[in-house]
Order: sequence, then structure tokens, then C-alpha cells
Amino acid sequence: MTAHLDVTLALIAALPFIGAVFPGLMIRAGRDACAMSAGWATLSAFILLMTLAPAVWHGETYSFRINWMPMLGLNANFRLDGLGFLFATMILGIGMLIILYARFYLSRSDPMGQFYVYLMLFQGAMLGIVLSDNVLMMVVFWELTSLSSFLLIGYWKHTPDGRQGARMALAVTGMGGLALIAGMLLLGEAAGSYDLTDILQRREAIQASPLYLPMLILILLGAFTKSAQFPFHFWLPHAMAAPTPVSAYLHSATMVKAGLFLMARLWPVLSGTDAWFYIVSTTGLVTMVLGAAIAIFKDDLKALLAYSTVSHLGLITMLLGFGTTAAATAAGFHIINHTIFKAALFMTAGIVDHETHTRSIKRLGGLRHLMPITATLAIITAASMAGIPYFNGFLSKEMMLESAAHTTWDGNGLLVPVLATIGALLSAAYSFRYIGHVFLGPVRDDYPHKPHDPGFGLWAAPAFLSVLVLAIGIFPQAVVGSFLQIVADAITGQHLHMHPLKVWHGLTPALLMSAIATVGGLAVLLAFTPLDRLWESLPKPDAKRIFDRMVETSHDICGTIANHMHDGQLTRYVAIFATGTVAAGIIAFVTGDYLPGTRDMLPVDLIDVVGTILVIAATASIVVFHRSRLLVLVLIGINGLVVSLIFVRFSAPDLAMTQVTVEVVTLILLLLALHFLPKITPRETSWARRGRDGAIAIAAGLAVGGLAFALMTRDFSTISGYYWENAKPGGGGTNVVNVILVDFRGYDTFGEIIVLGIAALVIFALAEALMNGRASRRLANWEVTQRYSRDRHPLMMVVATRVMMPIVLMVGVYIFLRGHNQPGGGFIAGLVVAIALLMQYMASGFAWAQDRMKFAYHTFIGWGVMIAGLTGIGAWFVGRPFLTSAYGYVHIEPIEEFELATAMAFDLGVFLAVVGAVMLALYCLSRIARRTGETVNVTPMDFDPSHPTETTQENG
Amino acid sequence: MELLAQIVISALLVIAGIFGFLGSYGLLKLDDTMRRLHAPTKATTIGVGGVLIAAMIYFAVFQDKISLHELLITVFLFITAPITANFVAKAHLHRDVKPSELPPTGGKYGWAAYDSVSPDKQPIDTD
Repeated sequence: MTAHLDVTLALIAALPFIGAVFPGLMIRAGRDACAMSAGWATLSAFILLMTLAPAVWHGETYSFRINWMPMLGLNANFRLDGLGFLFATMILGIGMLIILYARFYLSRSDPMGQFYVYLMLFQGAMLGIVLSDNVLMMVVFWELTSLSSFLLIGYWKHTPDGRQGARMALAVTGMGGLALIAGMLLLGEAAGSYDLTDILQRREAIQASPLYLPMLILILLGAFTKSAQFPFHFWLPHAMAAPTPVSAYLHSATMVKAGLFLMARLWPVLSGTDAWFYIVSTTGLVTMVLGAAIAIFKDDLKALLAYSTVSHLGLITMLLGFGTTAAATAAGFHIINHTIFKAALFMTAGIVDHETHTRSIKRLGGLRHLMPITATLAIITAASMAGIPYFNGFLSKEMMLESAAHTTWDGNGLLVPVLATIGALLSAAYSFRYIGHVFLGPVRDDYPHKPHDPGFGLWAAPAFLSVLVLAIGIFPQAVVGSFLQIVADAITGQHLHMHPLKVWHGLTPALLMSAIATVGGLAVLLAFTPLDRLWESLPKPDAKRIFDRMVETSHDICGTIANHMHDGQLTRYVAIFATGTVAAGIIAFVTGDYLPGTRDMLPVDLIDVVGTILVIAATASIVVFHRSRLLVLVLIGINGLVVSLIFVRFSAPDLAMTQVTVEVVTLILLLLALHFLPKITPRETSWARRGRDGAIAIAAGLAVGGLAFALMTRDFSTISGYYWENAKPGGGGTNVVNVILVDFRGYDTFGEIIVLGIAALVIFALAEALMNGRASRRLANWEVTQRYSRDRHPLMMVVATRVMMPIVLMVGVYIFLRGHNQPGGGFIAGLVVAIALLMQYMASGFAWAQDRMKFAYHTFIGWGVMIAGLTGIGAWFVGRPFLTSAYGYVHIEPIEEFELATAMAFDLGVFLAVVGAVMLALYCLSRIARRTGETVNVTPMDFDPSHPTETTQENG
Repeated sequence: MELLAQIVISALLVIAGIFGFLGSYGLLKLDDTMRRLHAPTKATTIGVGGVLIAAMIYFAVFQDKISLHELLITVFLFITAPITANFVAKAHLHRDVKPSELPPTGGKYGWAAYDSVSPDKQPIDTD
């Protein structure tokens, strides 16, 4: 086997994702354009895939490697061999047919752009699974299919069935995905590599590993949940709430086949052991029989097909479980056949639903006369599902029965063949029912809607598939013979010597079993009415109710735990946290060695003493007066000011400036918030409780103080020396603090402004929720306890703030520009500018000022983060890592030479995010104030000696 | 010249210190909010102003550079101090004084804190 390196592979995997962008945009150009955009992307990927076909046909593999996180073993490695080729062909081929079919299936009221976006995402995820060479990468795509199928199944989100079905599918397949992650990690551990190419070579090592059994179970959990194997089969019928194109795609070619793909892919390394045989083949066998039995008695067309899918998936699983090459070949063949006839069957069911407006078999019958084309297609494909000779399903079913006939289960040679025959019999029965009860029989006169054949667009796709059914059924060797050869070779990892496919093999046990199944199936159909009554009378567990109860129980348990741990009492959280930390520190101190510090104490002078006394006095006053909230706010202000003076004293002007500005902004916002809260903190706890809290607080304070003292009295090396030396040569700025912020630790800052933005948006969301809830009514009934001044916007204040605004803005710009070399920077400048704006809002009222603000503050945050991000990305274009900064010096006459650094653009992002966050918080508080019925002033001040600018009066 | 500058700077600092102290002392000593309001104004004007002028002279004479920061600080102080006083007085009116206790304004309009002027009467007559 030779391997080729080819970038086409990565392109094929990427195309559906790229194609997912367009339908959402193209829907504005019309529904045809939308469908076409999805179709073209799929077609391009399909054509690219076909260019690789000749080499794959010769048994060669393609691969392409992109190192992503090599340390973790997670790389974007792609690989294409026969098996991957089969699945990729199915995904893209059926995908195109589905895109065509969905274009005509979806009604005008369905958002088609969304549909195709989801569909393309799903297609990309599926394609990723089958083309991945790295098993971790495969898991990533695996989870993506769970997520995107959630969106597809829940596409009709206005129906409860759709939402619940989607949630159930996500819960079951998502949990399977978690098991799969664990399984894949174990597999990589056992094989010593996460690349399939390597893993597939190490069968002995893996099977000898003690991890084999847990790994096998975990991986199979993933595969079984995805492929709806018993007992996880229940999600699949509920996923039928999706639009029919989705069902046709997910349940024929893609989603549920992912589990089968996984088992086939890992077949060479995992199969052949007893554990594999008993787990996989037994599960498959049970699923096959059970699914088929349920399917017969389903009256909903799609439910019948859903359970038939479950049954056929069981069949393929069983074949993979047998562990023989003949069975694996049969599995590969049945994957092809099932995809073809099941996709077509779903499409015909969709057509029937579309035309008659019902899916209930009990209300249908005789459609053969009204919809001849649909009936023909349905009969051909259902006959294939039943396993009638000259239809493709017959061939793989024969192979299955042949394999089953030679299988002994725990020494019993009869069990598997008999059950397999029963499964085939039931399978024939529901196929016949699908034909007989829907299309045959007399024409009725009570259809919910008078049916007739749909337009060509809707039946083109199933017609094409029906042709394939017949072509494979009649000339198997010519149509798929060599293809099956490469698929089987890829599944088994050997070069098999295969007999040519033939319809007739002579009188074999398989033919006999097949005959029994067909005749039995007809018999079941004839005796359907009594059997149906019998079935109805049997007690059956309702999977949905069980599932719902399990979800509810686990929700309750988690809720109980969470509510006890998180009872919303902040003091409790802080107490637990502080006690734990102090205890950990004490344990560390007692068990470790402690040496007193070696550094000399600094001399204390008068200023230090005054500062210390101020801080202590202010803090003590806070403790004493803490029930009077306004007073506390003032005292906190004192603390903040003294702290900033301490920063000045110890030469940290940046910190001092930040502290002062933050202090101002915080005070203003807190004052506003306090307006809506009680002015006094009520006494809620007992003396004992307060004593305990006080003890904890003192202990924590002493511990922190002691720790700081211990640290500051000794010499230790930190990274600050490095920053100090490299700020100018590396970052191009002499202000080390700023260079650290925008350059050395730019990533941190970038993360922080994002957090800041998110926090502001959360404030906005909370205020928004407040506006619509019970709190809103309380605010509306707000009783003004204190008299408002008639002169809320005094002339002096208004004029002064107007005068100061340009000065403050100038200071902001100045601080911003010099930030790289002298104290300042984007963060401080942002706060200064925010204060300049805050003053206007305070002076003239929020509404008045807001009217003059032309930009929404949300966009400030967005622009800030974007500018910072784009600056970082800019480094890529010169081949440097994210956020590498560059700087240079510019000299323009007559200005002095000055420095320009990319870090400045980054700082601009910080600046905008800060301004946006502060102002958005103000905006939210002001909205609350408006809700209380505060009047909105029209003029900038209450007593206006100039001409009013507006004459309209509005009320809040 | 240097001696003269030293004397001036020292004098300014001492005066500033006295006024700063007076301002603080007055705040404690005076017993009525309206009277108290006057005391800190001494500290913020001559008290801080003296220090700022001293600083400017110091930089000009001994450091050989013209420092204008102080002017900016002065401007800010002159703008903000009256507003603070104005707000404190208004708060005092609302908290401690009943509207009936207030003397008549003697003009066309009442006390700003209590009598609103409807928008259609705006702009107010300033004559």
C-alpha cells in the first residue's frame, strides 16, 4: 500500500464548513440561490473527492498532516482509504440529493438559510470523522456531529416534539461522546500513538494491554449511542420530529452510520476477541430483532422507518461483531445498500406526508392509484429493504444470513441463525406493511388532503436512488464489485480474495432462511390485525418517560447538592473560602520550615505614619458604621485615596492614576446603585454569628498581612527584573507597566478586556431582565421617600462640566499617547474619558446626555476587543506570533521625533473597551432610574437662562 | 535673586500652610453647616494656591524649567470648588431647613431647590 500526501484532503474536509457560510447569506437572494450555494460547496467537495478515486481504487491511501497541538498528540491529520472513501462518497452524494430534496420539501415559512447552514455544518462534521487520521481529532468532529444534529433535529423549534427530540438525541449521543473521548485516550495510551495509521498496525499490543477491556467498552458506548443500538436506541425514533430531509440524511448515510464507521474503522485492532464478539454481536442481534418487531406495529410512517433503521443498524453491528472477514465484507456491503434504500424510503415517506398531510399508516392506503411515481419508487426501495431478489438489499442480506449460519454463540450453533432469520422475517414484514398499507389496497375518500404526485424536484432524488437499488440488485459485480473489494480491504486491513458478487449462489442455507423470512413476512402482514391487537395489549416500557424521569432525577439530585452548597449567601462563600485558605496556610506553616526574613526594615517617617493611621481609621470606621451605607461609601473613598497615595510614595504612578480613576468611577456607579437599595443594612444575624465571622475575618487579615510581611522581608528573584531590562529594547517603551500590559503580557490584557466587556454585557442583560420581571413592577411603584430637588441639574454644575469636558478629554488623550513611555496608557485614559462623559450625565441627566451620544456603548466594547484582536493578528502577516508588537520612530517637522508602536493600537482597543464597559453600566443604572418614574429633563439645566434647545417634553 | 526666590517660596508655603490649617480648624470649630461651608474654601483657594505658586517659582528658578501643570490644577480647583460648595449648601437646604423657614428671594422666582419652572416658562428671565 503506498501513501500519498495531498492537501486536497484537508480541502475536502474544509469545504462544507466554508459552504456553511453562504446559505445564510444567499437566502436574501432567494431560496434557489440558497440551496444552490450549499449544493455547489458539496459538489465541489464531491468532485475533489472523485479526483482521488483512481488511486484509492488501487488500494492506496492519501494522507495530509497539519501539526496542531503535537505535545498533546492532537494533530489535524487526514487520511483517505477505501472505507473513508465509501463514507465520504455517501456523505457528499446523499448530501447533494438531500439538498435538492430539501429545496422542494421545506415550505416558505421555514427559515431555509438556517437549515442549509446547519446541514452543511453537519456534513462537514461527518466528513471530518471519516477523514480524520488522528483519533482525538475524530472525537472533536464526533462531538460536532452531536451538536449540529441537535440543531437539525430541533429545526422546527416551535414544536415541543422537535425540542425534546433534539435534547434527547444530544443527551444520549453527547454522553456517548464523552465515553468515546475516554476510550480514545485509552486507545492512544495502549497503542502509543493517536494516529490511526499507527494504531491500525498495533493490534497485538492493544489487545494484550490491560486497558483493552475498559477501552473497548468506552469506545463501544460511543459507537452504540450514536448508532442507536439497544438499549440506547430510543433517541432515534424521537429524532423523527425533524424535517424529513434531515431524517433521511441523518438516519441513512450519516449520523447513525458514524458509530458503524467507528467500529469498522477500528475493526482490525479491536475485533477478534471474545469480549468484542459477545458485546458487539449480541447487542447487534438484540437490536436487530427488537427494532424490527417494534417497527411492524408503528403507525407513523417515519417511526416505522426509524425503527427499521435501528434494526438494520443492529444487523450491521452484529456482522461487525462476528469478527470474520466475510461478515465484515457483508457489513460494508449492507452499509452501502442500506444507505441507498433508506434515504430513498425516507424521501418517499416525506413525499407522502407532504402530499396527504398525514403520516399515519392507518389513514392511508391505495396511494398507488393517486401517486403512481411515488408508489413505484417506494415499492422498489421497500422491496430492497425486505430483501427480495434483484433488489440490492437482497444481496447483503444473503451475505448476512450466510455469516449468521456459520456462527456459534456460546457453543450454541442454532441461536444466531434462528434469531437472524426472525430478524429478517420481521424486517420483511414491516417492509411489506409499508408497501401494502400505504400504497396498495383500495383508494380511500378520507385523506386529510387529496394527494397527487409531486413535482420532479421532489421525486428526482429518490428516483435516482431507486435506479441504484435496481442496478446493484441486478448487476452487483459490475456496479459495486470492485468498490466493495476496496471497502472490505480497508475495513479488514488485509487484501481479501473475494468471490464475485452474484444474485444466485445455488441452494444454500442462506437462501432457505431468506425464503422463510419472505414467506413469514407475508404471513405476518396477512395476520396483521390480530397481531396488532395482541401487540397493543402487551405492556411496553415507554423509553421517553423513563428517560425523562432519569433526567428529572439527576436534575433534582444536582439541584439539591448545588442549592445546599450555593445558597446565595455571600458571607457563607467568603467564610468557607477564607477558612479553607487560612487552614491550608497554617498547615503549610506548621509542617514546613520557616526562617525569618533577611532584609532590613525600611525607615518609618511621619508621612508613613499618617497614611497608615488614615487607612486604619477609615477601615475601622467602616466596621463601626457599616450599617449606614452612604457613609461607608465615603469611607471606602478615603481608603482608595490613601492607597493611591501609597502607590505614589512607592513610585508606582501608573497604579496611583489607575486607583484614583477607578475610585471615582466606582463611587459614582455605587452611589447610583445605592439609590435603589435600602440606605441602612438591617441586622440579620446573631451576635454569635457575627463574632464567628469577625474571628474569621481577623484570622484571614492577619494571615495575609503575615504572608506579605514574610515575602517582603526576604530577597527572592522574580520575573520583574527581566521586564525591567527588556521593556525598552524588547517592547520599545520606557513605561514598564504599560509595556507589560500591552506587550509582554498582552494576551492577559486581551483576555481581561474581553472579560470586562462580558461583565458589562452581563450587567446589561441583568438590568434587562430586571426590566421585565417582578422587580420592574416594584420599581414602577417606587415611592420617593426623600424629596427630590427641583433643581436637579443646577446651572453652575452644568456649565462647569461643559467647560471641563474638553480639558478632561485632552488629559485623556495626553495620558493615552504618552502611556508607552510615561505613566498612563489606554486603561487609565479610558477611565479618564469615561469620567468626562460621566460628568455630563450627572450634570444634565442621563436622557439628555444620551440623546447627544451618537454611538451605542455596546459597540464601543465590540470595537475595542476587535481592534485589540486585529492588532494582535496583524503580527501574523509579518510571520510573528499573535500580539507581537513592533515600534518605530517618526520624525515630522516641526513636531519632535516621536514613537509609533503597534502596541498603541492595542491600547486603543483597551481604551474603547473600558469606556464602553463603564458607560454601559451607567446606562443600565439609569434605565432602572427611568423605570421608577423619574422625569426626563428636556433642557440641559432646570433653570435655563438661555434659549431651550428642544421644546418637546418626554416622560420616562 | 535666589535668596529672594527662597524667601518668596518660603513665605508662600507658610501662608498656604496657615490657610490650610485654618480651613480644617474652621470646619471643626464652626457649628452651622452654612458657616462651615466657608472654612474649607480658604484651604482650597489660598491654601492650595500658595503651594502651587511656590512650586512654579521653585521649578522656574531652581530647576530651570517652566512648569504649567500647576496652572491646570488651579483651573480645576477654581472650577470645582464652588460647585462642591453649591451642592453641599443645596443638600443642607433639603436636609435641615424647612421651605417655610427660608426667607423670600426678593425676585421673580423662588428658591431653586423648591420651586420648579415649567418648560414653557423657560428660558428664565435673568433681568
